[in-house]
Amino acid sequence: MTGTRGHTLDIVAVTHRYGAVTAVADVSLAVRAGEIVALLGPSGCGKTTLLRVVAGFVRPQAGSVRIDGAAIDGLPANLRNVGIVFQNYALFPHMTVAQNVAYGLEARGRPRAEVRRTVETFLDVVRLGDFRDRLPRQLSGGQQQRVALARALAVEPTVLLLDEPFNALDKGLRLDMQIEIKRLQRQFGLTAILVTHDQDEAMSVADRIAVMNHGRVEQFDTPVNVYDRPATLFVSGFVGTTNLLRGRALEAKNGCAVVTLDAGARLTVRTERAFTAGVPVVLSARPEQLCLYTAPAPERWSVTRRLSVPLGPNTMHDLETRDGATLKLIEPRHAYGVDAKEEVWCGLRPEAEPGLFDASSI
Amino acid sequence: MRRRRASDWSYSIVLGMLAALGFTILVGPVVIVLLTSFTEGRSIKFPPSGLSLQWYRLLFDPVRSSQIHRAAMNSLEVALIAMASATVLATLAAVGLARRRGAWVRAVDTFFMSPMILPMLAFGLAALMYFTFMGFRPSLALIAVGHVVVISPLVLRTTAASLSQLDPALLESSASLGAGWLYTFRRVTLPVIAPGIAAGAFLAFVASLDNVPVSLFLAGPRSDMLPIRIGLRRADRDGAGADAGDGAGGRPHATLAWMTLMRQP
Ligand SMILES: Nc1ncnc2c1ncn2[C@@H]1O[C@H](COP(=O)(O)OP(=O)(O)OP(=O)(O)O)[C@@H](O)[C@H]1O
Ligand SMILES: [Mg+2]
Repeated sequence: MTGTRGHTLDIVAVTHRYGAVTAVADVSLAVRAGEIVALLGPSGCGKTTLLRVVAGFVRPQAGSVRIDGAAIDGLPANLRNVGIVFQNYALFPHMTVAQNVAYGLEARGRPRAEVRRTVETFLDVVRLGDFRDRLPRQLSGGQQQRVALARALAVEPTVLLLDEPFNALDKGLRLDMQIEIKRLQRQFGLTAILVTHDQDEAMSVADRIAVMNHGRVEQFDTPVNVYDRPATLFVSGFVGTTNLLRGRALEAKNGCAVVTLDAGARLTVRTERAFTAGVPVVLSARPEQLCLYTAPAPERWSVTRRLSVPLGPNTMHDLETRDGATLKLIEPRHAYGVDAKEEVWCGLRPEAEPGLFDASSI
Repeated sequence: MRRRRASDWSYSIVLGMLAALGFTILVGPVVIVLLTSFTEGRSIKFPPSGLSLQWYRLLFDPVRSSQIHRAAMNSLEVALIAMASATVLATLAAVGLARRRGAWVRAVDTFFMSPMILPMLAFGLAALMYFTFMGFRPSLALIAVGHVVVISPLVLRTTAASLSQLDPALLESSASLGAGWLYTFRRVTLPVIAPGIAAGAFLAFVASLDNVPVSLFLAGPRSDMLPIRIGLRRADRDGAGADAGDGAGGRPHATLAWMTLMRQP
């Protein structure tokens, strides 16, 4: 398995346009050896295009792709040794499971005995030994996907690309396959890129997430950092749920900013960004970073409760501020028993670090 | 069980009647000719007067039906050669044109399909003049060439149709697994589009077998073709063969032959 383990992938300043549409705009990503990176973003943000650039199906207008430091831009797809699993699996319909897995090895002209041995190995790896003589159409979606994985892995690719591989699967199976991919990736020390627009999938499978929007990478960081410290307003809204509160920055120094919210409160927020006094800002607070109080204070703003619903072990409150914004707030169910009639105030939890962004970036 | 409503019934009845009408028009003539061929008499009449295999005996008699045998062998030979050539050429053309856009691709496609729009009679005449001008004598080989031109579009269409069904992700998967284009063509493209090619080849074979207008012009004295022998030459020959008729002269048969000619697009 020497071919598979430990290869770095560098995407350097890649730009690709389809006519007037810029699908990928100046994207750079350094993927470490044995790392699985998720490309996360809304539909049409250029994830597939970036993947196709790496696979060699698309020649970008600018930029370079390097594997282990060596540029592969001049190589056609069949000489790149980059594996790809498509959303619809793209199994060869006229070949059995075993023939599908053997295809890449035969194309490379490997000796017959070696092909047979490798096929056995990888059918065992994806636990499909009993299905070797079936045709793809005689398999379930999950089984087809495992064949596609075995077929891609059998040729020991340097990098494995997965384009929304779980989309066609139902929820339970999806989780199984996510675990399966993670297991295979660990077992072979694979460097992999997973395209998805499902943030939970990106969070659970990936070592790092690249959040894309309009062809650009807005943030490339660990799942925890992407969630807790979103780099842009877009990231804070796309990954997880968030509440946006408008206001103005009063002063910003020593990593802290004082903000007055339109909802009627004056807060001090930790931030590394600099804001000039008086500039409109947006505070992005997660539902679990907010808290309900029964007494007013300068750093709390008054809200009316519109609805409270149980959500697993938590309660979710739907709130409305004085200036008409709606907020979502989540707290442990019995932590705080506010009567429905009572007037309540909303504030940040003491340890919360909400994001603060320039309002012009909306 | 849900009771069927009146509209369902009338739908079924109308559909059934249309099917019966189509069946009568399309299959009826064949059935009647088939039954008539077992006649005992010497004239073509329906219903046949008595049953016998006399005409079949005559048809398979190597001496008395030698001319029609040779015509049949010629037709088969030409059909096989023309089908094989047309299949190879049209498949290559379809693969070359698949999934490409642009003005010249459409122009080339239209050019390849033009024999289907052009009246075959016109093509036959033009081909005869052209080949004569080039110094070729009418022959079986020339007929085969002419047939290739007019039957290739059939293979081109069916093959192009199955190519458009081919998932491009299959080709990309193949490439990412290390296969070059030729390997991909042989092991993925060809097997997947094979049914389309086979359907086209079958249509082409049949079209060549009963082609009259092109064969008519390109046939030389030694290249008698089956449909022409059956249709046109009957009247001025001594009438050996299954088409020996009632002696009412060549008129009806010539008319039939011309109708066959005009039927071709
Ligand atoms: N072959 C093409 N020709 C023209 N435009 C294209 C082509 N492929 C993609 N695009 C455009 O490029 C942009 C990015 O497309 P891409 O397929 O990379 O998005 P994506 O992030 O994969 O979206 P999705 O999540 O829907 O798959 C889109 O605006 C799309 O319309
Ligand atoms: Mg996509």
